[in-house]
Amino acid sequence: MRRFLARHYWVTGLAVLFVLMLGLTRIIQPGFGISGLESVTRAALPYAFATAAMSITIIAGGIELSVASMMAVGGTLSAVLMAKWGVAGTVPALLVVMLAGAAMGAVNGVAVVLSRVPDIVVTLAMMYVWGGVALLILNGPGGTATPWLRELILGQVPLPGLRWLPQAALVMAVVIGGIWWSLRRSKLGLSIYAIGSDQTAAFRSGVAVGPTRVAAYAIGGMLAALGGLSLTLSTGVGEPIPGPYLMASVAAAVLGGVALTGGIGGILGPVIAVFILRLARLDLTLMSVDPNVTTIVEGTIMAVVVMIGGLVALREKRR
Amino acid sequence: MTRLLQGAAATALLSGIAGMAMADGYVIGVSNTVQGNGWREEMVCAIKAQALASGQVASLNIAHRNTDAAGQLEDIRNLIQAGVDAIVVNPASADAVNPAIKEATDAGIVVVAVDQAVTEPSAYNISNDQEEYGYLGAHWLFEQMGGEGRFFYMRGAAGAGADNDRDAGVQRAMAEFPGISVVQEVFTNWQQDQGKQQMLDFIASGIPFDGVWTSGIDNVIVDAFVESDEPFVPVVGADNAGFVGQLAAADGLEGAAVSNPGSIGGAGLTLALQILDGNPPAEHTVHVTPSIWANTTDEGRAAIAAAQNPNLDPEWPVSVEIPGWTTYTMDQIIACDGPGE
Repeated sequence: MRRFLARHYWVTGLAVLFVLMLGLTRIIQPGFGISGLESVTRAALPYAFATAAMSITIIAGGIELSVASMMAVGGTLSAVLMAKWGVAGTVPALLVVMLAGAAMGAVNGVAVVLSRVPDIVVTLAMMYVWGGVALLILNGPGGTATPWLRELILGQVPLPGLRWLPQAALVMAVVIGGIWWSLRRSKLGLSIYAIGSDQTAAFRSGVAVGPTRVAAYAIGGMLAALGGLSLTLSTGVGEPIPGPYLMASVAAAVLGGVALTGGIGGILGPVIAVFILRLARLDLTLMSVDPNVTTIVEGTIMAVVVMIGGLVALREKRR
Repeated sequence: MTRLLQGAAATALLSGIAGMAMADGYVIGVSNTVQGNGWREEMVCAIKAQALASGQVASLNIAHRNTDAAGQLEDIRNLIQAGVDAIVVNPASADAVNPAIKEATDAGIVVVAVDQAVTEPSAYNISNDQEEYGYLGAHWLFEQMGGEGRFFYMRGAAGAGADNDRDAGVQRAMAEFPGISVVQEVFTNWQQDQGKQQMLDFIASGIPFDGVWTSGIDNVIVDAFVESDEPFVPVVGADNAGFVGQLAAADGLEGAAVSNPGSIGGAGLTLALQILDGNPPAEHTVHVTPSIWANTTDEGRAAIAAAQNPNLDPEWPVSVEIPGWTTYTMDQIIACDGPGE
């Protein structure tokens, strides 16, 4: 137990903070219960995917600034395909969306590796490219979402003993957790952490640095596209204008214990961090804090988190 | 970090408890997804001022930020959690926020969509007639261009309900003037800086054009002409204070302002209160008809002169009151104070 706490003190701390915030929410709004938890989870779903995409690229030593634009592509593409192919074509549509996401990420990764321009510059440029692609797919909200997929993220798990658990949380755990778990157990996962913590050392130990980076970006792209799909599922239509997921995902990744220098971090911390940031928003709304102050508070939380992350990264480098 | 969070939470908690202490009257939620736009700011201030003037509102719970439809779903659900009696919403999209609106009306909350309509049948809509808005301005512009030529078409945000409706109006006017065509179509996203840049870029391209139709990003368009030393072409805008001022000063500018009161927010609040009091309107959709003021006619010039008010923010629409729907004073909306502020 002590060893577990020592190894996972950051995640444990976050989990405690999350529970405290649930308690705080309950104090502010005594009616906050299962349905409230469900709506927070549904709101958190796209952020969780964006944060997972951001985390994997940061761990690999890069950063993915085009995450929100890739989500817009994933969202519009899934809405268009589900409208065109209908209920019967939903599963193929899902596969196409995931492949398209992986392809977008791979393009970003190849551009980074071949151009040797810093990740932050390449992905910033790609943010506009993918934003444009999303508008090409749909120039306004359109398309549709298959009803059974929409119901998948709605309500609570219909199993005895789990009727308090939002389905969206289960989807999050199965999809993001599944991808992450299989990655961590694979050689690729090990290589991603290796190139993130020290590229030269990884290269000397025989890791193919370039392909590994491309793979990390491809997985990130796929997660972002799934995040876009989750947007389509929650609204019922595809929207081409990217939402506010970039800054929020960097903040959640950093707050979740992913080091901006790369090589360090997991997925549980960032996902809990997503919930903490969503609960912060809920609490500010429940307390009817002035909306401009709310924006300031939210922005300050994110900026402070990222700044601390940056400072820690700088100190690590100096060592 | 945690200490900062706790500090912020504690302060916010205290103000929240203070807010709950005077729970007499209705609690009204507001959801808006564009921040820092003059029209939307006027809308929010109209809601606050009308809430204060009505005397029936204990407190307002305002979710007001720049976000997408998914973010608005979150905000509306948060307002449901907050237990408000009614929600006044300016929807990010006609369909995309329906799920949360349905959840709200199922929970017994009155939902009024202002400015842009939603397709959820359990919600009420009150808006300016955006199709007529597009038609009135475009019709004037095409007449002014002599029924011939090409115009720069500066729309609002792709996919927004109001933008689609205005486009339908513009298309209706174009059908009446076969000699008119679009030289280029852009979306300003109703952002001043973006619209101005698009105008500057287009002027720099050197492509000839005979008129500009804007979806309310207007005074910066006139500025762009002045800054690039480009001769004016007729410009259609909304009744924003800055643009109306430019029309009054004229200086060779021919233009027309189509009224699109942001104070529709106040009207939405009034409608919500009427429904809460048990007097719902006969129809679920209520329209407010726009008017047009051109500085090329005596009548228009008189309306423009009457609308001048130096205290108004230049990006605010000058028609700050809607007769029959709002009861606040000009000073109250400029002060922008809600109940308990």
